[in-house]
Amino acid sequence: METIRDLIPPPHIEGIKHFVDFASVDEILRSKNFRQGSHQESQPFFGDSLLTIDQDAHFERRRLQAPLFRKEALEYYEHKELLPLIESALQECKETRNESGEVRADLCALVRTMLARISAVTTGIDGVDSQERTDAFRTYIEQLGTGATVEWSTEDHSTVISRILKIREGFVDEFYNPSVARRLDLINKFRSGDLSEDDLPRDLLTLMYLHWNDDWDDELPLREATLYLVASSQTTTHAIPHLMIHLHEWFEEHPEDYEKRFDREFLKRAGHEAIRLHLPSPALLRIALKDVTLSNGVEISEGERVACLFTPANRDEKVFGADARKFNPYRDTANAKPWGFAFGGGEHTCIGRTLVTGLSARTDNDDGTDGTLVNIAHALFRAGIQLDPNDLPTYTELSHHDAYGRFPIILKDL
Amino acid sequence: MKKNNTFNLKVDVEICQGTAYCVRVAPKLFKVGQNSTAEVTKADPGQEFEELIIEAATLCPTRAITY
Ligand code: HEM
Ligand code: SF4
Repeated sequence: METIRDLIPPPHIEGIKHFVDFASVDEILRSKNFRQGSHQESQPFFGDSLLTIDQDAHFERRRLQAPLFRKEALEYYEHKELLPLIESALQECKETRNESGEVRADLCALVRTMLARISAVTTGIDGVDSQERTDAFRTYIEQLGTGATVEWSTEDHSTVISRILKIREGFVDEFYNPSVARRLDLINKFRSGDLSEDDLPRDLLTLMYLHWNDDWDDELPLREATLYLVASSQTTTHAIPHLMIHLHEWFEEHPEDYEKRFDREFLKRAGHEAIRLHLPSPALLRIALKDVTLSNGVEISEGERVACLFTPANRDEKVFGADARKFNPYRDTANAKPWGFAFGGGEHTCIGRTLVTGLSARTDNDDGTDGTLVNIAHALFRAGIQLDPNDLPTYTELSHHDAYGRFPIILKDL
Repeated sequence: MKKNNTFNLKVDVEICQGTAYCVRVAPKLFKVGQNSTAEVTKADPGQEFEELIIEAATLCPTRAITY
């Protein structure tokens, strides 16, 4: 099966200068001469959120949100939230056991369920529990994601924005408002001394309301929450099927490694390779703040938008070796981040990266965390994941982007 | 943490992207050097720097700081 495809440049970057080699992308992302260039039209959904602000405002917002990603917070989240959520989603699969005793599932749907619940926890949205509620919530996030990427839409953009704003009202009534109300109540109890800080939820919305800034407009937490929900769920959902198919093929070609399916270090390296090769978003845009000449001589004028194409940059042989286009969990990436630009670069580097890849040991005497990719892959192997040889995964037809649409699996040990 | 109760503060220069966010929160501990990556300016910082070190390490967009 073909599991690694070349990037077809998306239509929205036609006519924009774009960069495909590692060195230029690195230079642009690091440079102080560029600012965020994506999400110009999607202000109603993402406006003034962390992703769209720059310089001092970005530094302050990132500083405010950083405690969500402290070592203790990551450990708490991994053990108290992530692992139970993965386990319960797998247990729910048992209900679909067929007459021959087999548990079959679609990996894309299973991972979407897991990630909807996981992203709800980190953002601070309650009640994403039953399958029905999870499906409703997930559909909202997908729609909000469409609104947030309206720039790339082939429909009339203002029609998309008004349609999604209407849909967002449903999300606000059903999920967002009750979650905020509960948090405000808990924060009041904390302020009056009836609750300790440790008993407050550890999520984005609690943090924002606890440290409210009068310069914010009332809807900013909603837009920030939208960013967190879209950024955390759709990206990881994209990565897991790629990781599992690569591991499946790797074990077929290297049967001696099959025992490593429970080896967390091996799974971690495999996860890095999967996200290096398969990017959830094909291009990142930046705008030049002044006339710039890159080291390779390319000139960019003040105000010009440029696109960084991560897929080719992450397969640059100068950095990742002659087999850069291939999946290789033993790759030596001593001179670069093992995931390349999967999490972007510079100031806007993904704040959630440590949730996904885990935090390698910060200090000399602790283990760090493993992250979502390793924990989900590990749980799937424990559940005895197998592909169905008669019904292999297929790519989605809904977009030209590198994503699976159907991924039938058998969980033989459930 | 070293045996003498000081922090083994380091910046992984392969990961650092020179954002200088660490310098903004802890100018006594970091500076951005010649090659546009951060450098630790205070060898073996003691316990009194613990909060600052943790804040810088967590805020660092690329999580290049270990201690
Ligand atoms: C495989 C999973 C993920 C991938 C590949 C990914 C990728 C990215 C990329 C490329 C950026 C930079 C965008 C830019 O510079 O324009 C980014 C930013 C961001 N990501 Fe992630 N992400 C992932 C998971 C997560 C998770 C789990 C969260 C949860 C909190 C998250 C939250 C964010 C936020 C809030 C930003 C904006 C950061 C800023 O602008 O300072 N992401 N992500
Ligand atoms: S905050 Fe991190 S990425 Fe930025 S200069 Fe300091 S060590 Fe480097």
